[in-house]
Amino acid sequence: MQTAKDCLEHQFPQMRAWCLSLAADLDRIERSEGGQALLESNPSVQQLRRAIKIILDERTNRAEQIQMLFSDTTPAPNPQSKIQNPKMR
Amino acid sequence: MKFIDPHIHCVSRTTDDYKYMARAGVVAVTEPAFWAGYDRSSAASFADYFRLLTEVEPKRAAKYGIDHFSWLCINAKEAENVELARQVIKLIPPLLNHPRVLGIGEIGLHKNTANEIKVFEEQVDVAAYHNQLILIHTPHLEDKHKGTEIITSILKNDQRIKPERVLIDHCEEHTIRLARDAGFWAGLTIYPVSKMTPQRGSDILEQFGPQMICVNSASDWGESSPSMLTDTALEFRRRGHTEQELTNIFYNNPCRFFGQCSKWKLKPED
Repeated sequence: MQTAKDCLEHQFPQMRAWCLSLAADLDRIERSEGGQALLESNPSVQQLRRAIKIILDERTNRAEQIQMLFSDTTPAPNPQSKIQNPKMR
Repeated sequence: MKFIDPHIHCVSRTTDDYKYMARAGVVAVTEPAFWAGYDRSSAASFADYFRLLTEVEPKRAAKYGIDHFSWLCINAKEAENVELARQVIKLIPPLLNHPRVLGIGEIGLHKNTANEIKVFEEQVDVAAYHNQLILIHTPHLEDKHKGTEIITSILKNDQRIKPERVLIDHCEEHTIRLARDAGFWAGLTIYPVSKMTPQRGSDILEQFGPQMICVNSASDWGESSPSMLTDTALEFRRRGHTEQELTNIFYNNPCRFFGQCSKWKLKPED
């Protein structure tokens, strides 16, 4: 099984590339008309900032925590199922 | 090494992809019915689509030595039109005895609406009544966690459904427990962009163990590729896992799930 050092060395160029790509994406948005205001107010960008904080601050399950950050947590609709209760048919 | 791609939309792929799969060692594929990239105007369009899935693609695949099976349903996106969905659902039972049909799929949710849930339940009912295997589509992005919770809750409440006969597909880090802890099979879909990478797929296999997991490419008309399946195997092998472990995940596991249908003849290999 690979060691942590092997794992990091293998993955580092890709991690660096993704980091640069995200930085360049934000720069490109900022350069566009209205970019700076959008970066300060847009909810999706705020989510990204919170995701980056999870990457920097948390020690385990970073991917799962970021998945939940980007998930809809509102209640599910209740269509009054008839299929689940055959007596209702 | 032999592979099975448990979820691929061959109708959207070129013959070059069949050639690639044959060269890479893919010996069998299963193709669920899905959204074609546009809403179809009538049930007749689905009747033709089901003929494509059950008659045309198996012949096309056979030219490359690949065994092709399919799943029938109305997909979650077009299920929003309940009237059309019910017309399409009526087409399905007469086709369930077709030798190339493994069950009902990919049914599930797209935006977690009440109409989608209604049609999902009606298709679960068809599967239960006809004792069919079920292949589930879970929503993407922000709708995935809630949608997977709704789906697993509906399935768990139906006493007729045996969880080991259901594969919950497109699981990710935050939803795989919802599927596996309730005894369902879990699918991992590996995409070149926007969804699960070969690295993250391998992470999940290592963290959660390979039991009751099927890895697939779900290649369709979007940016996707049958090579995502084999790239995941390469990543898993690169991490030091053995050939037997790879065979267990990429060949034996699909055989174990699909083998619950008597039409599926391939057996797990030790």
